[in-house]
Amino acid sequence: MGTARAATIILGKELRTELRARELLSTTIVFALIVIVLFSFAFDPTAAETRRYGPGLLWIAFLFAGSLMLNPSFAREQANDTWSALRSAPVPGFAILLGKMLANLIFLLLTEIVLAPVFCVLYNISLAGIVWRLAAVLALGTLGIVATGTVFSAIAAQARMREMLLPLLLLPILTPVLIAAVEATAGLMTDEPVLDRTWVTFLVGFDVVFITASWLLCDYLMEE
Amino acid sequence: MKWRIACTMIAAALMFSAGYAALFVAPDEATMHAVMRIFYMHLPSWIAMFLALSLVFVANVAYLVTRKVKWDCLGVAGAEVGVACCTIGLITGPLWAKPVWGIWWTWDARLTSTFVLWLMYIAYLLLRGLVEEPGRKAVISAVFGIFAFLDVPLVYLSNRLWRTQHPQPVILGGPGSGLDPVMGKVLLLCVVAICWVMAMALVDRYRLELLRHEADGLRVEADSLQSEATNFNGIAASKEL
Amino acid sequence: MENFRFLFTAWMAVWAVFFVYEFSIARRMSRLKSEMAELKQRLHEPRTDR
Repeated sequence: MGTARAATIILGKELRTELRARELLSTTIVFALIVIVLFSFAFDPTAAETRRYGPGLLWIAFLFAGSLMLNPSFAREQANDTWSALRSAPVPGFAILLGKMLANLIFLLLTEIVLAPVFCVLYNISLAGIVWRLAAVLALGTLGIVATGTVFSAIAAQARMREMLLPLLLLPILTPVLIAAVEATAGLMTDEPVLDRTWVTFLVGFDVVFITASWLLCDYLMEE
Repeated sequence: MKWRIACTMIAAALMFSAGYAALFVAPDEATMHAVMRIFYMHLPSWIAMFLALSLVFVANVAYLVTRKVKWDCLGVAGAEVGVACCTIGLITGPLWAKPVWGIWWTWDARLTSTFVLWLMYIAYLLLRGLVEEPGRKAVISAVFGIFAFLDVPLVYLSNRLWRTQHPQPVILGGPGSGLDPVMGKVLLLCVVAICWVMAMALVDRYRLELLRHEADGLRVEADSLQSEATNFNGIAASKEL
Repeated sequence: MENFRFLFTAWMAVWAVFFVYEFSIARRMSRLKSEMAELKQRLHEPRTDR
């Protein structure tokens, strides 16, 4: 079976699982919302400050939410040993990883689509005229988070203390994504919004490097 | 054993002469005076760290390709030595910065990136500690190690791009520019000394890890014999019944 | 040399890191060696159940 088709089937399985249980998306959204609210206690969000710190806070909320949300990706395969079943299926290892990556991308993007407007309302940031450009930045940044995070979820699933381990492994590696995404978002949330080409190129570069690395190394993660 | 004694003596000689040179032979720096001498430990430790972490990357790739245990051992040894060197750098840096710049730390590009680097390789070591089965441990940490190494230039690049857009609180005018020839020679001696000493630590750690693999093998063998004996006893007992 | 205490602390820190690390390796090594000696003995001793 080809990679694309297998990945689509896995993607379908992940989406159906979530549709039935509806626990991952809801908990992720609520957690991200809690983080956003907590920030308001950390400093006094007057207009000037939110412009400066807003993008950073938004992406930190997404990063934290993402690193918690990515854990079940592979961890729940351990529960009924569906992991062995998946591995012994006659599909390329990358297909499994890709399917889960796409599912995680959809979940995290949905979280961001719900939360970004809420954030802008709570901190008085206008989305007028920047929606599509912001969506592009969100997509590229989230792809970076999810591409690396899915691989690390596979890594952490084979270790102890995986809920604590995944953020520990993931967050230092994702600092470039955080910087690039925050700067790109900050560029959009100014009086004269501009999509910074440097940072967008950087995000694209990061995504390419890590998706390629995942493709090259996935078989080692899948073996027993 | 003879090699070890010889190497230790060379290490002692190097450290002694490097220390002496750094403290007494090197000329006094115009503005920073005594504190500048911290530089003779600071820079060599970064060089040693860079070498150790490059070795980790090579070992990780080599392990995935060959599956020979020695590469896994080399990987963890390199990572521990690399983290130790990075720790030295991160400690000596602020000790230099406080008297010279007046502040312990600044979030400039290089310092931030190096702090992140330190965290990544600590995560590597923690990961190894949390996987029990040796085969899986080796494969998984090799994969993570490769990802971490690929990320290093991206971390430095992103921090560089970011910090040039923001004004720097202090200018990092390190004494690397226009180095006095005597200072240069002392620095070289210190680099050799620290790299030698760290290489010895690396070899020791490598040997320890090899020994640990051997011990694991023995343990497995002893356990299987134990269970065999128990089974035998069980069969004998049931036969008696 | 009023900044001497910083220089001194830095040197001591370097030595401390290095020696603590070497010491921990040596300790682990000796513990491992004694464990291995014990295991080897267990493997070679005559089995009393036969």
